[in-house]
Parts: sequence; structure tokens; C-alpha cells
Amino acid sequence: MDLETGQISEDELDDELVGQKIGGVGITTWLYEAHKDSDPIVLGAGLLTGTLFPASALGVISAKSPRTGGLTHSPFTLKAGMELKYTGFDYVVIMGKSEKPVFLWLHDGVADIQDASEFWGADVWSTTDSIRKSMGDDLIQTLVIGPAGELGSDLAQICVNYWASGDCWGFGKVFGQKNLKSVALRGMGLLEIADPEDFVDQCFNVLETIKHGAFAGKNGVEDILTAMGEKDVKEWIAPFVHRHSACYNTPYPTNTFIYLDENPKTLTEPSEQEPGFLINDIGALLALKKAGLSAESAGRVLKACAKYGIDPTAVAEVTAKSGQKDLEQIEKSFADLKGPVSDPKAKKFSSWTPGRPLFSDFGLSDDSAYGDWWVRRQAVAYLFGIHPIFANMAPEISEELLIEMFNKGTGLTLSQETLDKAIADVCL
Amino acid sequence: MNFYDSYASINQKLARGANLHYGEDEASILPCDSRPLRIPRIGVYAGSGTSHSWLWFVELFDRMLFHDLVFLTEDMVREGALLDLDVFVISGGDTIGIAEGLGGEGAGQLESFIKGGGLYLGSCAGAYLPLKSSKLHLDRFNFVDIKIANLSKTLPEIKRLPSKASTVYGCDFVYHPVREAVRLRLTGRKPFMSKQSFLAPLYGGPSMVTGRASDVLACYEGFTEKTLFLVDETLAEKTLLGKVAAARTDMGDGSLYLFGPHFEHPHFTVANHLVATAIFWDMKRERINRKSSDGEIIIEGAAKKKLILDIKREISNARIVSVGLEAAPVKWTIGCKTYEPEKIRVFLEAIWKRINRLERSGGVSLHKGADEQLAALAIHVRQILREMKSRIDDRLDTQDLAEDLFDSLRRLTMLFLQIYFDSSGCSRPTGSHILKKTFSFSE
Repeated sequence: MDLETGQISEDELDDELVGQKIGGVGITTWLYEAHKDSDPIVLGAGLLTGTLFPASALGVISAKSPRTGGLTHSPFTLKAGMELKYTGFDYVVIMGKSEKPVFLWLHDGVADIQDASEFWGADVWSTTDSIRKSMGDDLIQTLVIGPAGELGSDLAQICVNYWASGDCWGFGKVFGQKNLKSVALRGMGLLEIADPEDFVDQCFNVLETIKHGAFAGKNGVEDILTAMGEKDVKEWIAPFVHRHSACYNTPYPTNTFIYLDENPKTLTEPSEQEPGFLINDIGALLALKKAGLSAESAGRVLKACAKYGIDPTAVAEVTAKSGQKDLEQIEKSFADLKGPVSDPKAKKFSSWTPGRPLFSDFGLSDDSAYGDWWVRRQAVAYLFGIHPIFANMAPEISEELLIEMFNKGTGLTLSQETLDKAIADVCL
Repeated sequence: MNFYDSYASINQKLARGANLHYGEDEASILPCDSRPLRIPRIGVYAGSGTSHSWLWFVELFDRMLFHDLVFLTEDMVREGALLDLDVFVISGGDTIGIAEGLGGEGAGQLESFIKGGGLYLGSCAGAYLPLKSSKLHLDRFNFVDIKIANLSKTLPEIKRLPSKASTVYGCDFVYHPVREAVRLRLTGRKPFMSKQSFLAPLYGGPSMVTGRASDVLACYEGFTEKTLFLVDETLAEKTLLGKVAAARTDMGDGSLYLFGPHFEHPHFTVANHLVATAIFWDMKRERINRKSSDGEIIIEGAAKKKLILDIKREISNARIVSVGLEAAPVKWTIGCKTYEPEKIRVFLEAIWKRINRLERSGGVSLHKGADEQLAALAIHVRQILREMKSRIDDRLDTQDLAEDLFDSLRRLTMLFLQIYFDSSGCSRPTGSHILKKTFSFSE
């Protein structure tokens, strides 16, 4: 999709490419390289995204990061990864800069560039509301920027619907530079699978096995943080927890919904339209806690970040360094928040995923082995479309199993050697 | 080979100019007869008073490759469009609404069509239409001496779904004892030669008592696990079992087939086969000299691509809104029929499932201006749906929108399907059904 000319063209996904690059970040990287001169943003679904395979929730954004200057990849989950797949477009290359603010509307095999002038300047929440209202559907998933992206902050984040995402690369700025306010996704298509019965049976078998894994009975960001050794997080946040929610088809609910403006113990419909916030950024929450904020204040900062469309981990770091605890002041600082903020630690994949195994040790004997293991594990998740946090909880989702699912699903043959090569290509 | 493939094979051979006879070769599925077979030209009534069930006929015809179809409104019937047809079908809806729409002029055209050798197939409302009646509008269609068995002076006690269970019929009530699948048995009368038992769904169609002039083709034999009783089970048995579910009556040189249940419903294979058999067996015997199709154009290349994309865009947008509406606690009464939000998508899906096939065709055949009309209607439908969603969210009334919506959906679907079937003769590129190996999107 060329935003400058308004031209849209479509290509069939080639079996040979799938056989070599698999999917997800393998193909977004290939597409990025092919269109590098146009400074593209590439959206992509993993090979298994949107299927019944457990945790097949991941979509990927690949682009040059304003923060590192290199090609990096950001995960998007909730229902958005699945919805991208169901729009009928596995990959979308967005090039050029639109003259006027626009949003992309991808639906059922149709790609439209639509005017977003009336949304420009609006925050993330009201933009998602406006898009859903104008298109007449509450299930539309949005990748959306707020004022931070429009104003060109290096810390601008592409949010998912109302919430934070794994974008720690400043991709919100890239959207803003292209005058791209949002990509809205909705599709009601079907997926073709080479051996559907066997594939679906195997998905249910895998689910049956892994749901009794080490994470069984655990919930939300607080149990993840506890597993990472942050023992008092659960008590800290407990008074505000309303519920936990999982991303598409993901057996562990990686998201914790807190109520800030109403009693979280209430089970009836809230009197306010949105009385709380969905926390999905583990690192940001921990950083705000370590900065000395109360759980309520941390929740309010995260909410303000999501509305403004700014990376909450970066905000948390700046807040911790400044010692600022006044919410109003923290929020005011968003407009010219520049640093000092350290670069994301990971080279290619988002540090949104904790840098270690969760609940299970994956057979790793000591912390020194985590680095290489983490990169490979994330590469695999980003290729196949597996929720990258869940990937670090479920050793049952092995490379061998994913190769088997590839073969059942596509009717092609993937070998370990080809997978190794695909992983190496995206880790370069 | 299943029934659909058998009829598709017959139609395909005939389209290629093959000389086929009843009961022989591909046509062995039909009773024997010395006549040669030919492709029937079928009119599908989609005018005022119809609900969505005419789309079931469309599905059946499409599966069996009966592609010489004409979609007709009441105006077209009144203006003589039946003269071009071998077969005319009317499915469900509001019988009185259909009769009123067609009026005396339409009734006269229908009578001439049948007497002139045409075949009329009526199911549900289409079956009530030609029965004897003194009721206003219906009294113009007294074509057959068949009585309604599910008619009562007093309204029986309704157990469930009151809006679907009865209709006022002058001073009487037509009541609908059951809904969903019922068991029927053939009588062995030609052209349905066997005495087999089969299923078909009943959605308000008649239980009939025939006179001597009519052949009983099938009777109600029993109920199924899916049968939903709207009145007391004993009354349902009394009203239906042993009564006529399908009858055939001669009229002049033509004939009428009346089906109480929806034999054309796409989930009922044997019943569908019987419809197709009736069509081939009793279609007009003389070949029609058709009017020339002046003003018909074929669009190809970029113009075709743009038209398809424009329609696809609007139908996709409309489907997305309509799925959301299905969770809304609303329904509308239009005429004497109740419409739920789920019915919106029946129309849209009839277009959606065919749009990619139209896209793969070599060209799109349509009358001049039909492309603009189609695009405008699709935009209108999408606009109404979005307005409807917005009003429902704000808890405002949507009755006026619903009336506009269902009328527009009917006209949109009718126009699209006419273009789709008219284009079926346009050459299609080969290899359009290659199975994709990757996890790809399909319509």
C-alpha cells in the first residue's frame, strides 16, 4: 500500500517463500528487504496465527526503529494478530507518506485507505472508539497511534485498541511520519489447511497436554512477576485486580485488568464506560513499582501512556530517574519526553517479553544460558505466530512440534535445517 | 455421483449442445420419456411480499447449474415477463403481500403462463397463493381446488413462538403447528416414482387437502428430533399427518406443483432432487422465442476489476456490521412477517459467496447502467446498516431503517444475482480452483 500515491497492489503468497522463510518475521524481514528503499512498515501474521494451535495470537510489525536505526520487530497480540490473518492479508507492506492523515481499513480481502483527518490529534482511546463507531462494529481491532506518534516522539508506541503493545522501538513515530493514524482490522474469512482433521486433532492434543503445565492455576502479570522473583507484586496490585484476560486462543491470561475508578470486586456492569485499565506490559509495571508508585498510581500512569500512545517502559524509566510521583506532572512530561532513556536491550525482538523462562526452567541450568535461548525462542515465536510471552512458559511447544504443525497445515515439508536457517536469517 | 452433480452434469451437457433424453445416460436420474431434454429458463420471484427463502431456490439452481435464471419483481410479472419463461417459482413470504403486489394483472399473467404450458412451483407462501380463497387479493388466484388443512375458526392454544405460530386469515386463522424438519413420504406418482420417505423443513407452509383434479405427490408422515411444536402435539398430528405436503395440478397446457414444506431448502438433498425432477419433467414443452437482450454489455479488464472491488468492499463492510447486529436484542415486523437481524446476512452471504466466482469469470454481463445501480444499492445498504448500528447503540427506534434495509437488500441481491447468472456463460480462466497449500484466506 503506497500512501503517497494511494496505489494498492496484491500478490499471492508463494509456497516456495513459505517453505524457506516459514512466516511471520521470516517473511516480514524478506518483504522489508525487498522494499527497503521505500522505508516500509511491514505487518505480518505468523504461520499458525489465527489457527486453533494454542497461543497462535501473534502478529508482527517490522520496520526500521527510530530508537536503534535498525530493522526491528514488534509483537501485537490480544485479538489483533488473529484479526490480521482473518482480513485475508497475511502480510501488508506500507510505503510512502500520505499527504493527509489516513487510516488503513483491511477487511475480508479488501484494503482501503481512508481519511483520518477527523481523528488526527485524538488520543488512542477516542480514535479506536471513533473508528469502531464509524465502521459500525465493536470487534474491529486497531493498531493505532496517539499524540506521541503524531508529534514525532522516538518513544511513540503503536497501541492495540486501547492498550499498550510490545512496541518498544518507536514505531508509533514511523506511523506518524507517514500520516498513518491507524490500521483497522476485521475479517470473517476461513483458513485453508492442508490436512484439517489431523491438524485440528493435534491442536486439541497439544492444548490438553500443555494446559496442565507449570503455569496451571496462575494468572496475569502479577503471577509472571512473582515467577520472576518479584515476591510482593501480587499483594501490591491485588486490591485493584478485577479480572484476567487472555489473548486469542492463549492458555495463560497474560493480561491483568485493574479497576481504578470503581470497586474491582463488583461483578455487575460498571457505571462508567471504562473504569480501569488492561495491564499487559510486565516490565513497565515492575519499573513503576520500583520507582515507588502505588499500584493505583502505576495503573493511572499506564493508562495515560496508552491514551497518549507512548512506550510505558520508557516513561517508567524516566519517572524512576526523576523521582517524580505526581501523576499530573508525569503526564505533562509526555509531550517532550526524550530521555535519558536507554535503548531497548534486545537487538531485534521486543523486550516486552521477559528475558527468561517463566514457570518452567526449559532445562536451562543457569541464568547465563538465558540470552541465546531467549533470542532463539522469540525468533521461533515470531516465525510461527505464537504469543511470545506464552512461548516462554510452555516448553511443550517445541521446535519439533512446530515443524510437525507446519507440515500438517501447509502440506509442505519443513526440516530442522530449514528452520535453523530461517531463525538465523531473522536474528542477523 | 450425488444429486447435485447429476443435475449439474445434465445442465452442463445441454449447455454444450448435447442431445440428452429423459432416463438415459446423464439423465438416468429422471423418469424415461422420449422427449429430448433442454435447459429450462426459470423465473424466480423476488418481488414484494417475499422473505429471504427465494434465495434457497437460487442456491439449489446454482448447485445444479440451472443458470438460465431471471429474477422478477411484481412489475416485471405484470408487464409480461413470464412469457419468456419455462418455469416460474415463488417461495416463502407474506402470501397476501405477494398477491397484493402482483394484483389482478399479475394473476392474469400467471394464469396465462400456466395455461400456455408453463410450470409453476410454489412453496410455502407460494403454495398458499393459488389455493381457493375468497380473501381480498388472494381471490384473484383461485387456480386450484385444494383446501388448507391448517385453517381454523378459532385460534388454537399457542405453545411457543407466537409471532410465527399463526396468521389472521379473514375471519379465520391459519396456524402453523410445527416448524423445522418434518418427515414426508412420496406416493409414487409421476414424476416422483418412488415411495421413499424423506425430510423437508416446514416454516409456515400449508398442510393440504386435495380434490380429484390434483395428484398427491407426498404426504406428511411424521416428525423428527428437530421438529419444534408450536401447538399441542396431538393437534399438530391431527393437522399434518396423512395430509398432503406436495401436490401437482394440471391447468390448461401447464401445471402447478405446490409444496407445503420448503423442498428447495439447501440442507435437504432429496427434496431438492424432487424440485429439479419436477422442473425437467413439467417445464414448458415448446421452446420459447426469447426477446433479444438489447442493451446487454460485457465488461472486462480494469472496469470489471473495479466493479467487483467496489461491490466486494461494500458487501464486506455490510457483513461486518450485520454480524455485530446479530447480538442486538431487536426484531422488526414488516407486513405480517417478523424479521430478526440474522436474516440480513442471508442476503449478504448470497452475494458474498458468489463474488469471487464472478471475479474469476472472463467478463461481467449486465445491462447498461446496472453496474452503477448495483454499486449505489450496495453503498445504500452499508449506510443503512451503519446508521442502524448507531441507533441501536443509542437505544433508538430502527423500524423505518429496517423496512428500507430489507427492501434494499432484496433489490441489491436480485440485481447482483441476475448479473452473476447472466455472466456464467462468460469464459472463465482455467485453473481457478487450485488448492492453496499455505494457510490462505478463502471466501
